[in-house]
Amino acid sequence: MDQSEIDALLTGGGKAPKKPKAAPKAPLVDSAPAVPPAPHAEPHQDGNGHVISELDTVTSVTERESNKVMDQLDQISRLVARQQQLITDMMRHEGAQSPGVQTAIHQVMGAGKEIQDKVFEAMDLMQFQDITRQKLERIVHHLRQIHDYIVDLLGTGLKGDMERPSISHTIAQTGTTPDENKAHADSVIEAFKSQKKG
Amino acid sequence: MKILIVDDSSTMRRIIINTLSRIGYTDVVEGEHGKSGLEKLGQGGVEMIITDWNMPEMDGLEFVKAVRTQNPSIPILMVTTNAAKEDIVEALQAGVNNYVVKPFTPETLKEKIESLLG
Repeated sequence: MDQSEIDALLTGGGKAPKKPKAAPKAPLVDSAPAVPPAPHAEPHQDGNGHVISELDTVTSVTERESNKVMDQLDQISRLVARQQQLITDMMRHEGAQSPGVQTAIHQVMGAGKEIQDKVFEAMDLMQFQDITRQKLERIVHHLRQIHDYIVDLLGTGLKGDMERPSISHTIAQTGTTPDENKAHADSVIEAFKSQKKG
Repeated sequence: MKILIVDDSSTMRRIIINTLSRIGYTDVVEGEHGKSGLEKLGQGGVEMIITDWNMPEMDGLEFVKAVRTQNPSIPILMVTTNAAKEDIVEALQAGVNNYVVKPFTPETLKEKIESLLG
């Protein structure tokens, strides 16, 4: 996230947040119930709308930054592959035929393979970005429901009309450990297939 | 073998593409939601589909149903965060052949792909 995005998040799209007007003092004898202040008309600028827009910014920025990490991992992977190729070429040189040199070269090749495996592991772990994004989508969904409920209740303001991705019914079962739900999913698939056959 | 990957997360598409290339599948086309997935499928040559569920425009379930009206036999693997039993059953009823819950290991993706192609 760069400084302008940080500033935008802090100030709500570059604008300083509006200071709410002070509520009028209640009369000593009041027959009418207190009316809460009306929400602002723009659904994505203030209140829930602003929070939704901030969460959207967080998800898009984290996706972009995750892709930068992936770019770096790709680059490391390519460099290790290049290094392995250079070492393979070196092994054919006459001066590299002594057993001591060959052992050392094999050790370097082994270390390179370990680096490559770790790079792939790190790439796989980047799945957390998509999972976190979907959890945030779920939170946004709840916030929008609250926002729209308040708009309905007060009969003023605008409902959000931006199309959102479909979201999971629940995030309670969404894990962060790879293959945490594999056995569960496989047993459901197996049961479904047996039922279909039967 | 040409594989179509449909997921709105570019990070997730890259992870799947990386995993596929490590197990020998490098011919890949991408779609970022169901509608673009259908477009890519219409261009021909796709022999297998890996799709997410939660996406804008057209979600994975609608996409699978649309694919099945045109192509009842193409193998479809759903890769999603939806882990509830009723979700898995709903996806299977829609025409998904196998199901992987995110986060997954490359070994699981490989196992599922091989079981679909075997």
